[in-house]
Amino acid sequence: MLNLNSEDPQIMFLDLNSAFATTEQQARPSLRGKPMGVTNRISKHCCVIAASYEAKALGIKVGMRLDEARQLAPDFVILETDPPKYHFVYQQLTRIMKDYSPKVRMKSIDEGVIDFHGTLGTVHKRPLEDIAIEIKQRMRQEVGSWMRLNIGIAPNQFLAKTAASLHKPDGLDRIDHRNLREVYSQLKLTDLNGIASHFEARLNSAGIFTPLQFLDASSDTLRRFVFHSVIGDDWHRRLRGYETDDVETKLGIVGRQWVLANPSADDSYILPCFQYLCETTGKKLRYRGVDARGIIVWARFQTGDGWQQRRMFKTTFYTDSQIYARALYLLNKRPKHMKLQTMGITCYQLTPSARSQISLLEHVNKEEELTTAVDEINERYGTFKIYHANALAGTKTVKQKIPFGGTQYFELLLKQA
Amino acid sequence: MDPTTLINERVTVVAVYQKQGSHEMLCQPVKMRYKNEDISFTELGLRHPTSAGRRMIHVFDMSDGVNDYRLEFDAEGLTWTLVSMLEGHHAQP
Repeated sequence: MLNLNSEDPQIMFLDLNSAFATTEQQARPSLRGKPMGVTNRISKHCCVIAASYEAKALGIKVGMRLDEARQLAPDFVILETDPPKYHFVYQQLTRIMKDYSPKVRMKSIDEGVIDFHGTLGTVHKRPLEDIAIEIKQRMRQEVGSWMRLNIGIAPNQFLAKTAASLHKPDGLDRIDHRNLREVYSQLKLTDLNGIASHFEARLNSAGIFTPLQFLDASSDTLRRFVFHSVIGDDWHRRLRGYETDDVETKLGIVGRQWVLANPSADDSYILPCFQYLCETTGKKLRYRGVDARGIIVWARFQTGDGWQQRRMFKTTFYTDSQIYARALYLLNKRPKHMKLQTMGITCYQLTPSARSQISLLEHVNKEEELTTAVDEINERYGTFKIYHANALAGTKTVKQKIPFGGTQYFELLLKQA
Repeated sequence: MDPTTLINERVTVVAVYQKQGSHEMLCQPVKMRYKNEDISFTELGLRHPTSAGRRMIHVFDMSDGVNDYRLEFDAEGLTWTLVSMLEGHHAQP
């Protein structure tokens, strides 16, 4: 069995917890110390997408509906999201982090990792705890006095993130081979990042009920009886402090989904929104500089049943009208009497853009030139200043959400804000 | 339901420009005239840039100790706009 990684910790995980709510409290001093939260669009049944620490202390959780939150705290204040504000804080956090190491990786809009390998003893001659305290102070001085960071220090990203979650808010913890078993002994399996109820059930079925039992399980057990793949080997290494998560993920799909506020089977309501989804997908493709060959259109009906159609095409595509024509062909194959609850479009089989290639077909060139011209106008005057007339109703109905998972579309989102 | 009051009116603002100080403090509104009343700011909550197309807008979230105000400075048109305010009593427990 692999020993615990005894390397001195050189990974720092920073988590701007309750990031949106804390940022709003920073901007609006009258909300500080009060239960408050933010949502994408305020309505009676909207969900809280970020709650302040004061709200969390009263039992208000992310994902809770506004009316439920108000039952717990009648004075709960809800605000609509303000992406440019959060982007500014994200930029400031990134700027500060990059002052300490060239190896900085943002994991999402409110958390990131600094890898100090190669800098300790040369650039930095002080303990990482000192640097962590300095970063906390700089966030307060350079962004605002209400900003709070949770920081974890460990030999790998997984343990550093675990350390950052031990004492919220404003925590600073270190996990290494000396206290690893002690920390695990105080956690549940679902406290481990990446272990939700599904994996917990699998671990339970193999006789593993605690993080310590998980740690002591052999690589063979995890691979053969729990995860049924090399993921088991990764967990065996990850739990011991070896890095398994420092990998670049390749862009595989680009898409957009939408939950209908009122389930419907009416094409006059659905199609403008569908066209809008296709246009935002096209913008993402062009923003990432890729073309697609495959398309999936999927839906979940009010009944709970799912449906999807996919197709690979001979040539690549990237313009809004190319995407819409292909996606509409697939959407029309759905059972039309069924009311849609959620719908989405996903482009796959992505390749680097071949847009400099002039087509032999004049109408293709015209369409591509039109797309370029519309993109340039929207770039200058703001996204969705010009769009297809059919998408008009869709632009008013489908709301843009804040991307929690990644930051790759943040710049694009800001242009739409 | 949204406690923010939309105003969207151009206002007269007194701002100071400091030679030294942190990036956040180089330029900052200190006073505003709104509806014939002078409102003095006691705290800068957050300053962040945004854009309207290619026009640079500086957003200042200010407080007078009771209410919060969102002021926008259009760097192209050189105008100050009071976009919205959050009255402090909305946040009282």
